Parts: sequence; C-alpha cells; structure tokens
Amino acid sequence: MAEEKVDVIIIGSGHSGGMAAKVLTEKGISCLMLNAGPIADVHKDTEVKAAYTLPYRNFKKPGQLAHVFQSDEFNANTWVDEQEVPYTYDQQKPYNWVRVRLFGGRSLFWSRQSFRLSDYEFKAKSHDGYGDDWPISLADLGPFYARVEAIFRVSGHADGLPQYPDGNFVVDDSPWTGCMTRFRDAGKKLGVPVCKARSAMGVDGLASSVNLLLPDAFATGKLRAVPNVVVRELSLDKNTGLVNEVHFVDRLSRREMSVKARVVILAAGTLESTRLLLNSKIANSSGVLGHYLIDQVYGPGISCSIPEARDGKATPGLVGGSGLVPRFRNIETKHPKFLRGYALNVFSNTGGMDPRNFATYGEDLQKKLDSCHGSGFSTGMMGEVLARYENHVRIDPNVVDAWDIPALHIETKYTDNEYDMARDAVETSIALAEGAGFEVLAKNYDPNPPGYSIHELGTCRMGDDPKTSVLNKWNQSHDIKNLLVVDGASFVSGGWQNPTMTILALAMRAADHLGDEMRKGNV
Amino acid sequence: MQRRDFVKAMMAATVATKAAMGQQTAPPVKQKLPPAAPKAPGPVPWSRGLMEVKPLPMTPLTPDAVAQTDAHFFSGVQMATLRRLGEIFMPPAKGHPGATEAGAPEFLDFLIGASPADRQHMYLSGLDRLEAEARQKFSVSFSAASAAQADQLIRPWLRAWMSEHPPTEEYTLFINIVHSDFRTATINSQAWADAARARGEQAPDIDLYWYPVDPDLRREGSPSANPRRS
Repeated sequence: MAEEKVDVIIIGSGHSGGMAAKVLTEKGISCLMLNAGPIADVHKDTEVKAAYTLPYRNFKKPGQLAHVFQSDEFNANTWVDEQEVPYTYDQQKPYNWVRVRLFGGRSLFWSRQSFRLSDYEFKAKSHDGYGDDWPISLADLGPFYARVEAIFRVSGHADGLPQYPDGNFVVDDSPWTGCMTRFRDAGKKLGVPVCKARSAMGVDGLASSVNLLLPDAFATGKLRAVPNVVVRELSLDKNTGLVNEVHFVDRLSRREMSVKARVVILAAGTLESTRLLLNSKIANSSGVLGHYLIDQVYGPGISCSIPEARDGKATPGLVGGSGLVPRFRNIETKHPKFLRGYALNVFSNTGGMDPRNFATYGEDLQKKLDSCHGSGFSTGMMGEVLARYENHVRIDPNVVDAWDIPALHIETKYTDNEYDMARDAVETSIALAEGAGFEVLAKNYDPNPPGYSIHELGTCRMGDDPKTSVLNKWNQSHDIKNLLVVDGASFVSGGWQNPTMTILALAMRAADHLGDEMRKGNV
Repeated sequence: MQRRDFVKAMMAATVATKAAMGQQTAPPVKQKLPPAAPKAPGPVPWSRGLMEVKPLPMTPLTPDAVAQTDAHFFSGVQMATLRRLGEIFMPPAKGHPGATEAGAPEFLDFLIGASPADRQHMYLSGLDRLEAEARQKFSVSFSAASAAQADQLIRPWLRAWMSEHPPTEEYTLFINIVHSDFRTATINSQAWADAARARGEQAPDIDLYWYPVDPDLRREGSPSANPRRS
C-alpha cells in the first residue's frame, strides 16, 4: 500500500547510493531506493559464447553505442541505450557519456583502481592558484577513506608520497618482476616514482554496491527498493521550500507515480543527478548548477616490446605485473606548459600482442606477432582536467528521452593544459621505456573524447559559499537542506585518481552527518 | 579481471541482492499445471505440455556453418577489390583459414551495408581509390594485382597505431581499418573456430554474453536524438 511519506528516498543504487543506504539504515533510518533499471541476474541474463556465434562476430551492431568505446557485442546490453536516453552536444565538441542503469549501476563493471585524493587536489588552488579549493581536506575525509578501504579490501603498498596518500590496505608486498624493476630503475634516474597500483579486491572478485553495501542495508530491514522506475522531477513544499515529493514513471508501463519523502538523496551518477535538478528547476540560487564539468584525460600512452622476452626467451620472473606512476609533475617544481598532473598505468602483458601496433600484414605480421608474444609492455595516462565554468551541461529544450524527460546537452572541451599534459605523459613514457631497454612499437598523443574515462565529475560542486557552490561540505544543498547529492557531482576538482574511493567516502560522510542531523531534528 | 571470476562474483551478488529483496532464489521446480478450462473454442490450452518438454538433443548451427553470405552492398568491382584485399591481408596460415575461406569479404559487405554513412563512405571511396591506383600504376584491376603490386599500393599507408586512435587521414584510415576489420571478421568466423577445434584448440574470443535485461519492448528506434513531443 502506498505510504504517506517515507523517511529518505535514495535515487540510484550504485556506489554512492549503496553507501548512503548502508549508513542510514544501519543508523535505523528507513530508506526507499529508486533505480531506473532492472536487476541483472547472471544466471538468466548471460551465457558464455564464442564470438563466431554472435550476429556481428563481435563487431558490435553498427551504429549502436557509438559513444561507449568500452562496449562490444558481448556487453552491449549492459549499457544505457543512447536512443532510449539520448543526449546532445556540439559536433565539434564530442562527449562520451557512458551509463549503466542496471541495479548497482557502474559499480558492477568498474576497473577497481582505488586511490585517495591528496591535498594537491583538495587544496589545489592554495598550491597553484588555479580554480577553487574544496571546503574539506584529506584530514577531513581520511577516517572515511579508511573505512571504505576496509569494506572494499583495497590492496596496496605504503609509499609515503604526499601526492599518493597511503591508505588502509591489504598489504601488497608482491615482488617486482624483472621488466618492472627495469622500468622503476629508469624512473629513478629521471625522478619519476613507480609504485604498486592500488585495487579494490572486494569479495569473490566483485567490488560493487550489490555485494559490499546493499546486502548490509537490506539486512537491517530498513531498506526497500524499487527497480525500473525513472525519476522525472522533484517538487518542493510551497510553504517550506523543502523538497517533499519525487515524481517518477514506471520504465515499462509508462505509468506516472509519485512518493513523498522527508529527505531526498540524489545518487544517480554525476550528470543524471544534475539533470534531475535542472529539470526540477531547484537548488540553483548560485547559478553554477551544471557548470564546472570535469573528467580525466585517458587515451595517450605507448605500446612496447621487451626484446629479451621475444621468441619464447623470457627468463623466469622477467615479465608480468603492473605498476602505477603517481603524479610527479607540479609537486615541488612548476612545469612550464601545464598545471596539475597525471598518472601512468603501467602493464607488462604476457599474452598476445595487438596486431595494430605493427605496420605490416600477412605472413610478416604473423611472424612479428609470434616473435613478440609475451613481450608486451604498455603505459596509459590518467590526467587531471582543469575545472572550468564554461564546461557545462544544460537541458536541451528540443530533445526528450523515451519517457519524455528532457535530455541533457553537454558542452565541454579540452584545452592546451590537457593537450600539453598528454604530450608530456607520452614523452615521459617513451623516455622511461627506452631507459628500461624496451622497444616502443606505437604511441598515441591524442586524448580520447571527454567522458571516455567514465569519471565525469562536478556540475553540482560543493563549497562554503552559497553564491559559488550548489552544496555545502556535507553534500547538502545550500538552498534546500533536506536535499543531498552524494555522487561525483559534488567534486570541486577531479585530480588524476579514479574517483570511486572518494565518492564512497564522501557518501559515507554525508550520510553519517545526515543521520545525526535527522536525529537532532535539524533535517 | 577474468570474465570467469566476474561470472562467479556476479552470481554471488545477484543471489544476495535478490534474496534481500525478498525474491526466491531456489532453482525453478518443474510444476505440473492443473488442466485449465479452455478459454476459446478449442479443446486444449495452448501452453499445455510446455513445462514437461525435454530440451532438444541438438547443437544449434550458426548460419555460417552451412550457408554463404550474399553480398548486396558493394558493386561488383568493389567486391572484387575487397576480396583481393582479404587475400592479401589475411591469407591462410598455420592451419587457419584466410579471409576468403572465412567468408570475411562477404561478411564485411553485410556489416558495412548496415553501418552509418561515414563508415560506408570510407569503405566506398577507399575501395574505389585502390582500384583506380592499380589501374593507373599497373594497368590492371586491383583484383588481378600480384602480391608485389598490391604491396606497393598498400604498404605506404600502413601505420602502427593504438586502440581508439587510428590514423585520421581518410584513405590511410581506410587501409588500416579494413586490415583490422578483416582480421576480426576472419578470426571470429565459423571456419576459424572449426579449424581451431580440429587442432584441439578453443575458438578465439570466448566471453560472457549479456542478453537484453528486462527489455523495454516499446523502445522507439530512432537513429539519433528524439525530438521533443508536443
């Protein structure tokens, strides 16, 4: 039976929504979770197949998911369909908006890279004069990072670098392979640190809302969830100005429904949360809602071969393993061409080579592939994108999705800071690889389109000043105190780090604070 | 992460989520439906007996196992050029079929025929240019060019590149993309899988395939953004 009013509605079931649900329900607060998509069931929804049995031989259906470079024919049905939920952009400024609406969202499929932001990110403006500082520091978020790292079982090694803060790790003391040692030694000569990567091991290989957060929330008996409902807008109580109702449409039947709530938490993913606020026309007295869209530069990197590992001649322990070069630019010295910095993912590949790395074909190509099998080594950049007001999203008045909800128009582009940083990332990679005695086969200086990283952040930034920010330091709307946004939309700057740990820590901290405020009657 | 590990992990997660949402997770039990009263003039409910049927003792064939693809998109000359390209780029090797044996040219005819206009244009203009250059330089159609002649026409355009960042100039792009497409269409073919099986190997590119999850059957398939409905 429909209730008059629920305590807390959480919109979204991914990492941020799952964490909010876990924290609040464990505090005894009842939550109702709304999710736009269905629950996936691996038993029912998947089958192991070979590419030759697929209709398009794993080329992907032509024209489908053109902006989801990560998609293939095997996983095409896991991503949001771009015709069902379209978005628009200027053709000169492409954007890859990558979404998952299955229950659990993108937490089902993420890469597990787990890093804390440092005060080079939280207090970036104090360091280099650009942009804005966050209203919080690493010290504020540290205790929450530690709790998140324990839940997600983050493996890592303490390196003592301020730009790569150590955490609450399952200690990774694995030995470095020979090729990684050579790469590290080359780094030492150039003053470039090469460290162990940090990764969320989760449980049974999965580090998702659905196995690490939501089960705890459901176990309290205080969480209920409705899949397959697409939230259209929020409305406010005319007398109090507080948000009081969520309007949604059943995804399959198109039936329009609504539910009242004491508190609403948006956790739909950065741009969906902001889209909902823009469509609701609320929470924007600052005028910055939708602005300062950030993501991260991915794409530039190199592909190499380790000569000593060719033709089956690799000695034991030479190949294999991975590492991470954390940001080293603009820490103690100032680079002349760009602000902030980047990290490099570093991998030794013991399998087959990518044939595209060789400018040849036929028998000659096969000879090279056979010779170089197991000798691969690659680097890939993760670079900070500067937060700029003009990089923004707004509602497109001419386009709606399959449920007649106005679509988002995304307008962003990279500038010299990102391109110069990318060039430096590739040239540093080449210097390190050649210093280690590797042969560089291919290199790419060009960033992937903005959005490719699936680390879209900002557009609903937090800050101490309601004139220049949408949220306060507790992820609470400055304008509407019973409205929170706990996903990546709250970020002030993006850093180079995979944002998942920070999103989780912020959501935990915000829910913690909200629970206390609700108990005190302040919300 | 390995896909198999992902399967195990997703199975665990799905069970946890569904159990917590109050849904049954026990495997389906075969139930005998009670005989239903006929709703329409007809002696038997239409679904009678479906729960009891045993799975058919068959391994479904892919169409490629018994049939060839009929090419419809490229012209006769373009198709001949494409076939010769396939012979050059992916000849048979080490017991594996080449592009021709794998039906890759015909498959690409189908694929490109269904592709967006920019991809079609790249292939059409690329094939036409290759043919024109063969005639101009060697006075032969590209389909009749020797391996050495074809190499002279192709090799200057080959590049070493990385995923998502092929060459940008259109003809260079075509040569490199068609090479990559031939490799995929050949390696992911029935013929290649049969050859692998004959050698005691697994078919390449085996992974977890996701069916549509609770699909919205009313989805409207417009090719681009939906205009606002008034």
